[in-house]
Amino acid sequence: MATARRLDPLPNTPFQYGPKVDFTFEGKPFSGFAGEPLALSLLAGGVRVFGRSIKYHRPRAPMCLHAHCSSCLMRVNGRPNVRTCDTPCVAGLSVERQTGWPGAGFDLLRAIDVVYPEELRHHELFTSSSALSRMATPYVRRMSGAGELPSGPPPLAFPVERQSVRVVVIGAGPAGLSAARRLSQSGEKAVLFEADALAGGRLLDGATRIEGDGDSTGWQRWKAWSDPATLPGIELLCRMPVVAIYPGRPPTVVAVGEDRARIVQPQRVILCTGSYDQLPLFGNNDLPGVMTPRALDRMVLGHGVLPAEPVALVGDSDETLRLSARLLERGVALAGVVTRRRDGPLVGALQDKKVPLVFDREVARARGGRWIHELELSPQRQREPDRLLDCALCVAEAPAAPAFELGHHAGCRVFFGSQGGYRIAIDDTGRTSRDDIFAAGHCAGAADVTTAIRAGERAAATCLESLAHTP
Amino acid sequence: MPKTIVCRCEDVTEEDLKRAFERGFRDLESLRRFTGFGTGFCQGKSCLCHAARFLAAVKGGDDMVSDPPRTRPPLRPTPFAAFAGALPEADAGAEEKP
Ligand code: FES
Repeated sequence: MATARRLDPLPNTPFQYGPKVDFTFEGKPFSGFAGEPLALSLLAGGVRVFGRSIKYHRPRAPMCLHAHCSSCLMRVNGRPNVRTCDTPCVAGLSVERQTGWPGAGFDLLRAIDVVYPEELRHHELFTSSSALSRMATPYVRRMSGAGELPSGPPPLAFPVERQSVRVVVIGAGPAGLSAARRLSQSGEKAVLFEADALAGGRLLDGATRIEGDGDSTGWQRWKAWSDPATLPGIELLCRMPVVAIYPGRPPTVVAVGEDRARIVQPQRVILCTGSYDQLPLFGNNDLPGVMTPRALDRMVLGHGVLPAEPVALVGDSDETLRLSARLLERGVALAGVVTRRRDGPLVGALQDKKVPLVFDREVARARGGRWIHELELSPQRQREPDRLLDCALCVAEAPAAPAFELGHHAGCRVFFGSQGGYRIAIDDTGRTSRDDIFAAGHCAGAADVTTAIRAGERAAATCLESLAHTP
Repeated sequence: MPKTIVCRCEDVTEEDLKRAFERGFRDLESLRRFTGFGTGFCQGKSCLCHAARFLAAVKGGDDMVSDPPRTRPPLRPTPFAAFAGALPEADAGAEEKP
């Protein structure tokens, strides 16, 4: 199995390195670059298994690298359940894994996965008598728990700022940035909340392309748009995820950062909360080394961290094919691309570079012990043999799930569409079922970045119009 | 058969959803209460859509899937300190922004 390496840094990525810093991982000296996500320092240093799953003790490692899947939880400075992909690496951290017995790397409780190959009905376990249940409960808790309690007392009370502002935009991705620009151009003041350390969302992906008005890459657009100087009147707050909208009139928006919180009661809200990347359903889709395309994009193209190679890519979208090409440009070995796309310039370019392309197979399962080492591909037509694809990293694409939750908090109508999932219902001007809340981009079902950008601008225009009609 | 994981936080498999459906848990809310998907660390961010797609497929249509289970704040794990700071008695220390 290939070992982890770091690629030569690119001058033009949005993610820049700080100096090298030292910390400890399970008591051993470790190093990373200041400010990079801790999960990447660990992967670059060869850490493979980040933790064990709650029931079957299956090995887990980062899947999304965008702070939502919770597969990268560790104990950091004595605090359990810290998302290492959302925690910057700084000097002196003490990092430990928190699950498994005797540890997460080698975990004897993995036996549970073997003993219960089909299902483990935890509701019915040890329930034959109440005495048995009482006896078993503490053990079951220990076996399935999520780490030990924190070593120190928690922080007391965060300073909370209350603020009055007319408009709040939630999410500084393609839709949110374009909405904020539109507001700014009209002289409106707004607060723009972003959960990530950098504004940009999908503009931060190396595989993003924006069509129309002189095609540009995501990074080019990010450079042009993320500079606060180009957004007069907009207060951009990164690392400030909005955790709640309470549905009164006006709505109450609560954002909570590392050590402070902010409560705003705006007249208008524009939801641009984006979407959550998903993995397709196949056997062992939770095996370490299986990630979403955007996780790999951020890790390899953005931060230059390559935990292992060759990489297998599974998917039909332009983004996945472009990601394959960008990886090749960066000198990353590709195991192959499994796709149903047979022609077009993106496929042609991969063929020219002699990348093995597999057209007529789909993923049946991933194989490996504690990290992926091959994909089993089954034929779409019967009577053809299965195929194995050796790989040390695998990305597989699935429709992303719109982040509809904040709209749901606020009482906006949401609905289900199988291409993705639940999304916020909007009309074609960006209005939700509430006349003071608007939504744009992936959270309302936009399929790509170009559409999301247009939708953000349109929702902001509708929002401005409605403000103009309010006394 | 290897496990196909639908909910990573609570280790719920695709097979679990099928069996639960056969046992009569046929809408999203009861499916969720029985299998436990969506009740872990991520609160459904990587499984709710899979479960809803599963229901749409077995019931034969997107409109057969009901509204999602109630989403309650907070959206992500949030320290109590944030809420403590928002209590009226904590207001003495709070700063008012213009
Ligand atoms: S939450 Fe960190 S990898 Fe998904």
